[in-house]
Amino acid sequence: MKTYSQHSLEVTDLPEIPLWKKADKVDLLYVAYGLFIVLLVVGSYIAGSLKLLPYDPQDIDLNLMMAPPGTTGHVLGTDFMGRDMLSRLIVGIQAYFLPGLLAVFIALYFGTVLGVIAGYRGGLWDTSITYFVNLVDSFPRLVLILLVIAAFKPNIYYIMFVVGLTNVPVVSSLIKNKILFLKEKNFIEADIALGIPLKTIIMKHILWHHCRALLVIQATLGMAEAILIETSLSYLGFGVQEPAASWGNMVQSGANYLMQGKFWPSTAPALAILFTILGFHLLGDGLNNILEGRKKGS
Amino acid sequence: MKFSAIRPIARVLSRELMITAFLLFGVSLVVFIILYLAPGDPFSLLIEGQLLSPEARAGVREALGVPQSWYAQYWAWFWGMLHGNFGTSIRTGLPVLSEVLRVGLNTLILTIGSMLVTLIIAVPIALYSSVRGINKISWPLTMGAYIISAIPVFWLGYIVIYFFMHTLGLFPLAFGYSGGGQKYRWLYPLLPIIVLGVGNGTISEVIRSLRTEMGRVLSEDYIRTARAKGAPIWKHSFKEGFLLPVSGIISAKIPFFLGGAVIVEQIFNWPGMGRMAWQAAQDRDYPIIMGIAILAAVFVRMGSLFQRLLYVAVNPRASKE
Repeated sequence: MKTYSQHSLEVTDLPEIPLWKKADKVDLLYVAYGLFIVLLVVGSYIAGSLKLLPYDPQDIDLNLMMAPPGTTGHVLGTDFMGRDMLSRLIVGIQAYFLPGLLAVFIALYFGTVLGVIAGYRGGLWDTSITYFVNLVDSFPRLVLILLVIAAFKPNIYYIMFVVGLTNVPVVSSLIKNKILFLKEKNFIEADIALGIPLKTIIMKHILWHHCRALLVIQATLGMAEAILIETSLSYLGFGVQEPAASWGNMVQSGANYLMQGKFWPSTAPALAILFTILGFHLLGDGLNNILEGRKKGS
Repeated sequence: MKFSAIRPIARVLSRELMITAFLLFGVSLVVFIILYLAPGDPFSLLIEGQLLSPEARAGVREALGVPQSWYAQYWAWFWGMLHGNFGTSIRTGLPVLSEVLRVGLNTLILTIGSMLVTLIIAVPIALYSSVRGINKISWPLTMGAYIISAIPVFWLGYIVIYFFMHTLGLFPLAFGYSGGGQKYRWLYPLLPIIVLGVGNGTISEVIRSLRTEMGRVLSEDYIRTARAKGAPIWKHSFKEGFLLPVSGIISAKIPFFLGGAVIVEQIFNWPGMGRMAWQAAQDRDYPIIMGIAILAAVFVRMGSLFQRLLYVAVNPRASKE
């Protein structure tokens, strides 16, 4: 069974020094890059939904097929049907943005609820939640998704529900361990002695004051997972179908031309996936190191 | 191993086997419930195109011996599975178990091979940076590992195919193809293994976990004592700082390797369980994908069981938890 290590904050963490002054430069760099990517994704999503695109992503131009990047008018070139690459990349964000948020929400919500119950109640609750978590962990995610696809239909929201559900174990274990760690602190005991309602203790003193950083970090990592799953499934042909754009099916359709030495149509969306996922991962890691504290020397 | 170490292992083995059996029972229940909730039923495929009245449908069900209640259906299926009868594929009509086992070995080779590739890349970087901290060599290496972990595996596969088959002309394009490049044919199975090992996104996690754990162990008092005595540090830190984190992360990542195998097998035409699952999802071939899900879960559970035993062998106190 999985265990997650948890480090306490160093005593030297003086509250008056701002966080970014105590943090490693490397971590700040990670977070800066990650925030840049998040802004880019959100901005592009909004631009895509408002139809603020350089070209219509479905506009076929047979005179200008597979133009290299930097062609006048098409900054990132065109794909195998002469459709503008940049516009398709922007529209491709629609394929995962809202479904990804749903997956993140499910993982955080159910993970938190289960984690709080397991950590605070303990005993039989903890045991049964541990069994549930191990049960979910027993399925390879993609196989479970294929099972759901075979049983129902290839609907991205069903798929993202499964993705969210398979992320519940990580969140709930982290929350549980955090609560077990906090329960030994005096302030919880003081809360109980003062007669503060349980709801306030859990929602405000535990979750809001001590777990929000952890939840934000898990949200970024969960979004990266969701993007990876969406693009993989679109690549496998179970997600967004041509002519609608998704980064995954753009790689897939572009790869047909790879053997002719035309790299760009599949490389552009692949790089988009790479830099986006890298951004979310680095954001999560950087925040983790800055906010959750990191042991010296590691 | 000393004899005294056997007893805690036996105790944990018996307990973990029970937990594993219980979890696999749960897995089968989840698989069944998903398919039970699915709209329509597998019969629609069997009697496709035949306009049957509801009574005739019920007749067909009865003729095929389908129990009416859900728990009777589940029990019939579960009982069959215990006896090695996973049903028959809707598409090919062959028994599921033999079909899946036939390709299961290929997937096993692919996943275990790619785990080794992941470890070969990740372990030196992690150990180096845990000993030396972040410096001019370890930072670019770690950063490179992050970037590699973010590469979508399906694109990496194409690039590797292009490079090796097209540019270098080393390999034939598919299994069983008898064209040129016969000389390097034995190398062909290595490509998907390397692609899955590099591209499944676990390298950075292995590095992170191993570096943190090794760094923690190296700052323990007993390592300082060993260092002062001039005893070999590696020997003292091996079990706790290397064996446990590596086995822990690998067993936790088996599902990811199996999931990545679905994609890599697709790209490389590797006749494995992942490709079969993909095909089955396309055809809505329920029995096949149920069998694959259950065998994959068995694989995952076995990995976890093995990791647990290793943990107790290293740290016998844990058997009393």
